[in-house]
Amino acid sequence: MPDFREEIRSRLARLRIAPAREAEIVDELSQHLDDEYREARSRGLNEEDASGAALNALSDHPALARALAGTGRVRARQAVPVGAAAGSRLANIWQDLRFGLRILRLRPGFTAAAVLLVALGIAATSTIFSVVNTVLLKPLPFPRSDRLIAYWGSAPDKGLAEVDLPDGLFTYQRAHTQTLVSVAAYDNGSMTLTDGGDPERIDGAWISHDFFTVLRVPPALGRTFTLDEERPSGGLVVILSDALWRQRFGADSSIIGRAVRINELPNTVIGVMPPGFEFPARSRFWVPLRLTGQAFNCWCFTTVGRLRDGVTVENARREMARLSDDLVISRPDIFPNAKPGGSLVVAMPLRTRIAGDVRTPLVVLLASVGLVLFIGCANVANLMLARAAQRTRELAVRCALGASARRIRSQLMTEAGLVLLLGLGSGLLVTWWSLRLIRTLPADRIPRIDQVTLDPTVLLFGIGTAIVAGLVFAIVPAFRASRVDLQPALRDGARSSGGPGHRRTTDAFVVMQMALSLVLLSGAALMIRSFRNLMAVETGYRIENMLTAQVALPGRYQKDTIARQFMRQALERVAAIPGVVRVGAVSRPPLAPGNPQDNIIAEGREPGPNEPTLVANIRYVTPGYFEAVGTPIVNGRAFTPADGPSSLPVTIVDESLVRRYWPGENVLGKRIRHGGDPARNRWLVIVGVVPNIKHNSLDEDASLQVYEPFDQSTIWSMHFVVRARGTPGSLIPSIRGAVASLDPALPLFNVSTLEEALARTLVPRRLTNGLLTGFAAVAMLLAAIGIYGVMSLNVNGRLREFGVRLALGASPADVLKLVLRGGARLAVIGVLIGGVASYLATPLLRDLLFRVAPRDLLTLTGVAVLLGAVALLACYLPARRAMLADPTVALRTD
Amino acid sequence: MLDLGMKKGSATLLILSLIEHQARHGYDLSKRIASLSHGVLKFHVASLYPLLYRLEDRGLIEGRWVEKAGQRRRRFYRITPAGRKYLNAQRRSWDALVEAIGRITGKSHA
Repeated sequence: MPDFREEIRSRLARLRIAPAREAEIVDELSQHLDDEYREARSRGLNEEDASGAALNALSDHPALARALAGTGRVRARQAVPVGAAAGSRLANIWQDLRFGLRILRLRPGFTAAAVLLVALGIAATSTIFSVVNTVLLKPLPFPRSDRLIAYWGSAPDKGLAEVDLPDGLFTYQRAHTQTLVSVAAYDNGSMTLTDGGDPERIDGAWISHDFFTVLRVPPALGRTFTLDEERPSGGLVVILSDALWRQRFGADSSIIGRAVRINELPNTVIGVMPPGFEFPARSRFWVPLRLTGQAFNCWCFTTVGRLRDGVTVENARREMARLSDDLVISRPDIFPNAKPGGSLVVAMPLRTRIAGDVRTPLVVLLASVGLVLFIGCANVANLMLARAAQRTRELAVRCALGASARRIRSQLMTEAGLVLLLGLGSGLLVTWWSLRLIRTLPADRIPRIDQVTLDPTVLLFGIGTAIVAGLVFAIVPAFRASRVDLQPALRDGARSSGGPGHRRTTDAFVVMQMALSLVLLSGAALMIRSFRNLMAVETGYRIENMLTAQVALPGRYQKDTIARQFMRQALERVAAIPGVVRVGAVSRPPLAPGNPQDNIIAEGREPGPNEPTLVANIRYVTPGYFEAVGTPIVNGRAFTPADGPSSLPVTIVDESLVRRYWPGENVLGKRIRHGGDPARNRWLVIVGVVPNIKHNSLDEDASLQVYEPFDQSTIWSMHFVVRARGTPGSLIPSIRGAVASLDPALPLFNVSTLEEALARTLVPRRLTNGLLTGFAAVAMLLAAIGIYGVMSLNVNGRLREFGVRLALGASPADVLKLVLRGGARLAVIGVLIGGVASYLATPLLRDLLFRVAPRDLLTLTGVAVLLGAVALLACYLPARRAMLADPTVALRTD
Repeated sequence: MLDLGMKKGSATLLILSLIEHQARHGYDLSKRIASLSHGVLKFHVASLYPLLYRLEDRGLIEGRWVEKAGQRRRRFYRITPAGRKYLNAQRRSWDALVEAIGRITGKSHA
């Protein structure tokens, strides 16, 4: 009997009926034709005629098709074999997407791993970039802020890298500059505000009158300062920040023209700045500087200038140096040693100046996180390659069925693209979350850190990163995999681990991962050693259980005797508080910002005509300060209450000053004085020597230090230094109470433990260290996973070979060695390349290192050995599997 | 010979009548229609099966594969309760139609 099924099927083909349904119809109709045929035969027709008669029933097949089309059994959706070269390009993409999603859903482990790698990579990179973008790249919030510069002097011969400007020099430069449209000076400080709430110490700035003009930011309310208000005779006027205006004065617009009490004096509010304007630092008020154009006693003005069009920063720098020369040469009364070309000026864009010291760490971090991303992507690429290798047979079948290499490539790339998209989405979510954390870091240590957001630039960067990542992990595997060699692939596809070319690609990825992670590890190790060196630094004081709190005496304390009396009583009352072990006071405690300095001349060691006068840090201290802060007196004595205003002027110096002037001599009884007019600067007799202490930060270089008794040089801003028995925080209310019992209008401010102060100075370094170490650890882990994955795949593909070897008498140890040798080869090549790269790259870290050489051989060798060991460990696991390969099982698996 | 597929409603009536009491397969149905009408009525494969599928979709009949030892499976159709209701209604209107036509053409069907 003929088989009618084929005939029926061919007639139904055009209808595209769902395959299962089609099979039923074919079954039913062919059954019918069979019956017709049998009947025709029974009527005596021959086979051919009977067959014809049966088929005759089908003859009207367009009618059949038409009729079937109306039965609702036709499936409109078209089933096309994946990879077939058919349909429009758009349809192909849609099909690839559907198929890709299905593939990813079918292998949740692979998908999760790949997406996680990509997401973390993108999140880490975007987060760091966001910080770099905000701190280093984003323009300042002023019009044409790219034209704003900062400049200052430099006196390396005095050991001063940076010298701010005095009134006389700034005023002269402002009057004569040709390169700057305008230039302003400012100085940070704080004042006590008593109106609109409890007495509060607020930070602000003293500015020259055209400060806001230079920045091109007009006030939101009122006006800015006039030139007259910048003169010593100018009235007491103040401009408030938007935040202060809202917080203390309820955003009352009638504030303009009203007097508010600042430092106990009525200041007329003449303006309110727009919201968000807080420059410099986080200013909440602005008052005018008092400029005479003649003063050279306070070298304390910071500058901001606006370049004329077409003028470069370097033009301006040269002009400022020339103007500085002109001025100092014209004033031999003040600058007896001035000579042409003697003025050194540094100038840079204001943005760079504000970013300051965090520039190098941020760039290093961005580069590091980029490397981590790359290492992660290499892992994803290897995952994809491994997957493609496992799917060799599937791909070969598709090729055999007519799929073009291009279609297969686009299919594989779509899969990778989906991973990328999922990774990008979740990565940006993680970024958003981590930026919220980063915003809580202290903005006084990392400028503008509180402004980081997930803005369009960061989004774009994230997407760009994803695309670059995709280039690494999507395109290479797709091109490798689409070059399928049909014959062997179909023959032994299932146990194939990819051809030699395939393996070369994965090997290259692994070597690269090892190399890059070694670079990161080297950097991190150097940073960790730096940090340990830093923490081991001898500070010269005790950090633990120390509290400092500042008090500023207003005009009522103008008379020295009143100020001295207040300080003596305050110290007595604080000392009486239970839990206080020792108390003293100092003009600037350790690790607080600011560092007043002055020229110092030693008797008998006066500088020659061409020698610079040395500069020393000056601190005014009360008796008991050294004991309280824990600085030992190494020679002589500490100050006592007997060192009063009418007794012999005395001083205590540090060991570096002794080494500088009187090395190896006993300095007790020698005399020093401040520079400048000898008539106004009396000689001070050295009565004690203390060690050099780290006043500003742990990594500062030793500088000369001079201490003078508060009672002999009374100033109006002092910090109490309190050593407590336990945690000093609990003493704060009692100390406030003690001060308030003397003067309720005096706020205590800058209240902080030394531990907190130290932690603040360490924030950027801790952050850099933490992140870099984290990145390096992740990189090493990724590299280990990478080499593990490749070796695993390698071993799986060769299990049969190992089985045969073992069956033929190889010992398990031989097999172990064989596999480990393969892994070790990759590790060694990677470590060698990484070693060279580290050697070249680590000098970039020089600025961040502390007492460790960038090419410290011990560190570099150490991390190389560590990475090698980790890599071998990662190889050991698959190697053990190879060693334990059961010959019989191994030979049967195929 | 009349093509039943052309006469809307009549073919449905025939098929439902034939399976009213007994499930039948497609070939059986086509043979029975031909023999019971003495060859006057004949169903073409191309119209019989699509009609069966349509009736099945409308829920008037129900097809079911039946396997017998040593034979290929066959699809048997039987009437559903909805089909029965539909058949009764069609019968009544068909009778009315035939009677009306008979009265007009003057031919008695008795």
